[in-house]
Amino acid sequence: MVDKKILKSINNLPAFPATVKKASALIGNPDYSVDELVGVIQYDQAITANVLKMCNSAYFGVRYKIFTLREAVAYLGRENLYRLIQTAGTSRFYKKVEGYYQEATRLWEHSVGVALMSRILSKKIYGFEDPKLFTTGLLHDIGKVVLGEYVRESFQEIMDLVSNQGYSFLEAEEELIGINHAEVGGEITRLWKFPIEMTEAITHHHRPDLLERGDDTIPWLIYLADQVCLMMGIGGGEDGLAYRGLGEVIDRFGFCQRDLEECIVLLLDDLESARELVDLAEG
Amino acid sequence: MKVSGNVDDMLITHALGSCIGVAVYDPLVQVGGLLHFMLPDSSLDSSKAQKKPAMFADTGIPLLFKSCYKLGAEKKRMIVKIAGGAKILDDANYFRIGQKNITALRKMFWKNNVLISGEDTGENYNRTVEVSISTGTVIVKSSGRVLREL
Repeated sequence: MVDKKILKSINNLPAFPATVKKASALIGNPDYSVDELVGVIQYDQAITANVLKMCNSAYFGVRYKIFTLREAVAYLGRENLYRLIQTAGTSRFYKKVEGYYQEATRLWEHSVGVALMSRILSKKIYGFEDPKLFTTGLLHDIGKVVLGEYVRESFQEIMDLVSNQGYSFLEAEEELIGINHAEVGGEITRLWKFPIEMTEAITHHHRPDLLERGDDTIPWLIYLADQVCLMMGIGGGEDGLAYRGLGEVIDRFGFCQRDLEECIVLLLDDLESARELVDLAEG
Repeated sequence: MKVSGNVDDMLITHALGSCIGVAVYDPLVQVGGLLHFMLPDSSLDSSKAQKKPAMFADTGIPLLFKSCYKLGAEKKRMIVKIAGGAKILDDANYFRIGQKNITALRKMFWKNNVLISGEDTGENYNRTVEVSISTGTVIVKSSGRVLREL
């Protein structure tokens, strides 16, 4: 049972932008029309501005210089466009985060890092990726945006449990606030009517081993991507690395330390070429 | 990586995680440097190591020292301090980037007769490191903890 105050904070979050949902649904059909897609996006000025800020990012590898929304839609290709629109619509939720960070933009940097890393891992392990993965990465810590206020109030007690009593940060949240940020994120995305694979991956992004049913590929990929970003200090926060390492991830993915380090090099490259994505939260 | 001989400079690196910050300082000439390396061994990707030597312990550390020598620092006077190498909880059978980074660094220093005169490593929190070029003071900041001078 979610605490009433927290539930109210969740309900107070702005709705997930309808433009992103509409645009993503359109792109889901391989025969989408450029006109129709431009028509949907252009009415949301913030998303249009973000698309234009990001579309010349080296990460998307477009050879033409893009100046207009129409050119972006025409040149970017379906998969890049999908990621671009998800990113353009999501950054707005990361303008203010208390407790976990001194600067909110660091949580956005972390979220972009996890989204990029989840793709790298999926391609390395399975040779392909589910588009839902990237969006799940961008939103996996959305619960921190709501829970941050409560974490700030209890910060010293949380740190005491973590530093002196062997709690993980997540367990300390549960103990002192009654819910952890992953569960809050699951509640938020359920409210936004996201597909169940995504809400469950967000709810279990620190404990994919506790997921009871269904395909747990996305939760484990997000888990590992998040752990890597925590280790590398990518958008590193006050909670630091105080989360549990689940050794079974190694067997599950048949992954050795060297494989992981190779993926980290790719991630650092991607983060550099995707600077425009990371900078989005600053504007 | 940054090196400086300008006494007005403050070298800073943020959120180290499992990465390691290596701070060096020659008090006589007031030259210092700060390396933030991420991975232990450049044999992972040698072309990457050529382009970005600071990414790895075995290419970054020599570069740090050599860059300070160019500004007049000498090895025998250099004071070396390290911070970072944090780890995830329960990492016994898990990925150990922090531990491997620390081991790689110690091996190099051992081989080259470099002593570490101050350190704050391991545990499970992020650290920010600041080096003052005028005094050589190295300050480590970490969440919910008091500032620590190495």
